Amino acid sequence: MSRIVGIDLGTTNSLVAYVDAQTGLPKCIPGPSGSTLCPSIVSLDADGSIIVGEPARRRLLTQPERSIYSVKRLMGRGPADVQNELKLFPFRIDPNSNHVIRVQLGERVFTPPEISSFILRELKNWAEAYFGETVDRAVITVPAYFNDAQRQATKDAGKLAGLEVLRLVNEPTAAALAYGLHEKQRGKVAVYDLGGGTFDISILKLISTTEGDIYQVLSTNGDTHLGGDDIDNLLQAFVHEQILQTDQIDFSPHGELAQELRKELIALKHKLSGSESATLRFSLPNGKVYVHEFTRGAFDALIRPVVDRAMVPVNRALSDAQLKPTEVDEVVLVGGTTRTPLIRRTVQEFFDRKPHTELNPDEVVALGAAVQANILDRGVQNMLLLDVTPLSLGIETYGGAVAKIIPRNSTIPASAQELYTTGVDNQTGIDIHVLQGERELAKDCRSLARFTLKVPPAPAGLPRIEVKFLIDANGILQVGAKDVRTGEQHMIEVQPSYGLNDNDIERMLEESIEYAEQDFAERQTIEARTEAESILTATHKALANPNATALREAERARIDATIAALNSAVQGSDYKLIRRQIDELNQATEHLAELLMNSAVQSALQGKNLAEV
Amino acid sequence: MTTSLPTTNPPLVCWSCHERTVGTHFCSSCGKVLQVPEHSDFFSLFEIPRKLCVEMGALEQKFLQLSWKLHPDNFVNATPEERDISLKRSSELNDAYRTLRDPVARVEYLLAVEGARKEGQNKQQAPPELLEEVFELNESLDELREAKASGGDTASLKHKLAAAEKSFEGKLSEVDGQLQAAARDWDQAIDQNSDKVRRDAIKTRLNDLLNRRSYIRNLVVNVQKELL
Repeated sequence: MSRIVGIDLGTTNSLVAYVDAQTGLPKCIPGPSGSTLCPSIVSLDADGSIIVGEPARRRLLTQPERSIYSVKRLMGRGPADVQNELKLFPFRIDPNSNHVIRVQLGERVFTPPEISSFILRELKNWAEAYFGETVDRAVITVPAYFNDAQRQATKDAGKLAGLEVLRLVNEPTAAALAYGLHEKQRGKVAVYDLGGGTFDISILKLISTTEGDIYQVLSTNGDTHLGGDDIDNLLQAFVHEQILQTDQIDFSPHGELAQELRKELIALKHKLSGSESATLRFSLPNGKVYVHEFTRGAFDALIRPVVDRAMVPVNRALSDAQLKPTEVDEVVLVGGTTRTPLIRRTVQEFFDRKPHTELNPDEVVALGAAVQANILDRGVQNMLLLDVTPLSLGIETYGGAVAKIIPRNSTIPASAQELYTTGVDNQTGIDIHVLQGERELAKDCRSLARFTLKVPPAPAGLPRIEVKFLIDANGILQVGAKDVRTGEQHMIEVQPSYGLNDNDIERMLEESIEYAEQDFAERQTIEARTEAESILTATHKALANPNATALREAERARIDATIAALNSAVQGSDYKLIRRQIDELNQATEHLAELLMNSAVQSALQGKNLAEV
Repeated sequence: MTTSLPTTNPPLVCWSCHERTVGTHFCSSCGKVLQVPEHSDFFSLFEIPRKLCVEMGALEQKFLQLSWKLHPDNFVNATPEERDISLKRSSELNDAYRTLRDPVARVEYLLAVEGARKEGQNKQQAPPELLEEVFELNESLDELREAKASGGDTASLKHKLAAAEKSFEGKLSEVDGQLQAAARDWDQAIDQNSDKVRRDAIKTRLNDLLNRRSYIRNLVVNVQKELL
């Protein structure tokens, strides 16, 4: 079985990590630039190829209409859900989007899971280059407060990237796993996770048993649209307003100017985490320079609404866990946005306890995902994670009300059975509407799926169909039905209300092949062939050198034979064979290289340089 | 404890090795995870008698111990069939723990498996001795809604409702006390191996108390919503 990696698919940055077999500790894998952070930015090049990460970030400024950031905000959402986001983010939504959003990048449209799959594929490539082997199984983290559709969209993204997603793990829970490994924590732990676009709070109970450590989530709450992005938006709105007043320049979120300003403001925000004031200098199109000094105090006042908004879910999670803030033993801060001093101070005052920040808040979720990947690979040995469903599952009843059948914060997997019958004679179908949320009316909850239960014609009240609703360990709904009288089982095809169906995914998988980079083996073959060609050229050139005549006949014969073997290996696609033949040729030509070296040294003494030999 | 464990697990044939097995969760012959037994219930899953006073510490211990073995994390590299069984068994375990941990849900569940749970014919109907108070409460609720809609004075109405809510909360804890007493009666009847007549009488009483509780609880929740 291939190795399982842990992936943090973040709003701002994404990372991939694994557990080192020697040390037993999780580690993030660096990309080509040496950084472990892959900016979650995707850009479509004019030639149709996909650019991901740091290079795509540069294109945000030069080609904003072909580039996208923060796509996580669109995952699992319908067009009507995102109207507010559109005022603040430069998302170009295809007006023909129906149940699934489609985003315009240049001349093409992509669904959010497709765009996320490009990021995942990039991380897959990083891991494959690092290990020198195929990586096709992963654990991916999601905000704990993600609903069914958002989770399903993330799983779809994995599938489109050629990854089997073995588990979706909640981000705060992953962070708790990483911290638990780092330093044995005990008792009740609160994880406050404020990332680029999402906020989660989870309360866990850490239990030591004779078998090992159990991480039991007691409650979770959050806001899937609250994060550092919102701080950036507040800063941007403030500056836009000022510039509009003094210079009558209007910024639309779509323009290059807005993107440039946003980049400057993010840098300013980072600077204010470490110093008491920072100055923004921004060149305007009218030739003037906008200058404004932000003090820490003014900055704190500006971002206060974001910090306050996060306290609402914190209070709900505590109340669901039946705990007072001071009854929490440890507090852990996760997510880049928790570097903000105001947030650290607010959390510390609320819990009356200094929060843990020892692990890098950007990496900790990916590290935890790697720990969970390791658990799945080897089976539960000394660590077990018991997570919960963040939202109640309900079904619509008469009059548009919702009957809750699995309450929020139930340990998953969890299930509930409902018995259905018919109301009129020969009724052939029963309509079922499944929802997620805490509100009492169906219209205020999130629609997960609608389906019709098929019933054989019979007098009213006679059919008895038991429907089983099951939330699996990923927090995703499965539905099955059983005819109680015959015992016959049905799997129910549930078409998600917001999301891709199986046909969509099948089609996208086919399409993605032309946009995907070649798979690992293919890339290895190409690289090996290139190397073979250059060593063959060098060998032929060396054999033509007059000094080569000093070779013994047996040596010459061996070189000729190895050249022939390498030539034939290059015809095939077995990159390991090509590499072996390259090594053989290198060995066979050792003496030849020495002869040429000697002559080169002599040439150098005669005033020639090495390149001329 | 004087009662023996209920014999709800008849001899079973393992789906994998086809041997007869005496295991509860895993096959005693081949060690594979077993299907959910046809006639199991939450009490037998935890290997406890069908009684209503449950020792929480022991329940949690058993839950954690079974979670180690049955959780899907153990079956990622197993066959699809075993993965499916693990998913069913661990969801059943979690459902059982969620139900038995909660004193009210526990009574509801016991009555359901005993075939004795009957929700009120008309859930909206007030218990007779509460009729007058409920009538008054509903009147005040209507007045408050009207006052809110017309922008009238709500302070005095809210004050009145808050007092009524307090009174009904008192009744709620009264019912909870009666429920606990009936639960102890049930456990005693089991321990003393009492006859069907006595057991049926306790079940009827438990059922009535549950209906009464749910009626008062709805009332309290409705008032709280209006007072927010």
